[in-house]
Amino acid sequence: MNLLNNYFLNSAFFAQADADSAVPAAVSQVVEQAAPGQTWSNSMLVPIVLGAVGYLLIQHGVVKTKAYFAGGVVAMLLAVGFALGFTPGTFESYVLMSFCAVATGGGIGFLTAREPVYAALGFATAVLSFCGVLFMQSALFIAAATMIVYAGATIIIFLFVLMFAQQVELRTYDVQLNNPLVAAAIGAILLATITMCVTDNQAILPVRADSTRAMSLANLPDNLSSEAGKEASKKLDAIDPNLRYVPKLTAGLGRSMYTDYLVAVELAGTVLLVATIGAIALAQRTTETQS
Amino acid sequence: MNETTQNLLVFGGVLFVIGMVGFMTRRSLILMFLSLEMMLSGVSVNLIAFSRHHQNYQGQILAVMVLTIAACEAAIALALVVSLYRRKATLDVAAWDDLSETLIPKVIEAPQTLEEPAMEFPKLTPAGLDPLSRPISANFDAQSMENGESVKASTLEAGTHA
Repeated sequence: MNLLNNYFLNSAFFAQADADSAVPAAVSQVVEQAAPGQTWSNSMLVPIVLGAVGYLLIQHGVVKTKAYFAGGVVAMLLAVGFALGFTPGTFESYVLMSFCAVATGGGIGFLTAREPVYAALGFATAVLSFCGVLFMQSALFIAAATMIVYAGATIIIFLFVLMFAQQVELRTYDVQLNNPLVAAAIGAILLATITMCVTDNQAILPVRADSTRAMSLANLPDNLSSEAGKEASKKLDAIDPNLRYVPKLTAGLGRSMYTDYLVAVELAGTVLLVATIGAIALAQRTTETQS
Repeated sequence: MNETTQNLLVFGGVLFVIGMVGFMTRRSLILMFLSLEMMLSGVSVNLIAFSRHHQNYQGQILAVMVLTIAACEAAIALALVVSLYRRKATLDVAAWDDLSETLIPKVIEAPQTLEEPAMEFPKLTPAGLDPLSRPISANFDAQSMENGESVKASTLEAGTHA
């Protein structure tokens, strides 16, 4: 009862906050265009094609000869070098890029390793560096949760793989891949399309403050120096001083989750419960019904 | 469009494509399922990049939802894999091909294994007599050569006693 009361009090508070935060239109259209991104050029196809060729060579070389493997690794490194050439940046962006590169390398290892244990190790590498990327994007809670969930899930899958693949020699279905050439071609085309869309500067709107929700008011520290920014920050400080550091605070994420998106969170919990029951029901041995 | 956002979107695309290629090429059920998780992590990168780009929490909350649903999916998929494995004792997807259309003729494939390098044994210096230069006769008896007549006598005695 107490909790319910608290919740209603809070919702009243946030409704009030919503009303208070009617920021003038000039502020709600804060546009941040610090560094305009790259535009598409056909030379961006080079790393994509090189990556696909490298994948094919490596997956062939793992089974057959070392020379193909070495050629594939060289092609991969060249692809990474080309890709880095498109993104000249600061030290921080290089750290981010190296996380991305390690994650991609883990993914390639996951794709090409024929022994299931090595494939799972490649997956773990990819997920850990992916968490590094999330940390650098200041999504701390999600990075930690991903590490727990994926690492836990990965360990369970490890156990499964080890349990099922106790044989010393490899099974045929682990060694043979299904049409790697076709898959690499489709993947390269998809990646080229994604890159083409992303490098279109008109396709995605620039940063824009969202004044519809109090919790999601954009308030960049960079913009606070301007007159409009100062005014907006004063208003936000009056509502809640924490609002200024919007996407960085885990507490803010939690508050947004349990106010704005309460129904979604409850639904997700229900789905988890159903999945637990379903997993237990599916994994049961059905000896009683057979006899 | 910010440069970092752009790079992260491309990175999310790379993760997604890796997962997709893995899903298409892999034939072990568990590894296909891991590829699916890889695709989901690519989507998460995408969401978080946009959360950072628009400076609000919506993308992060969606990423939390993706995590939750991925956990559900992991639980159910593993239970399904276990029950499938109990039926046919294999993780091969091709074992369940008869669930699909039967128009495509089934290709029987030769078993394939990783090629291992030939083993090399150390070369020892030759010792003793070369059996090729001094061949041993077919009725050679090493025991009688060692112990002489006494052994023969004892075996004869045992034979007579029996």
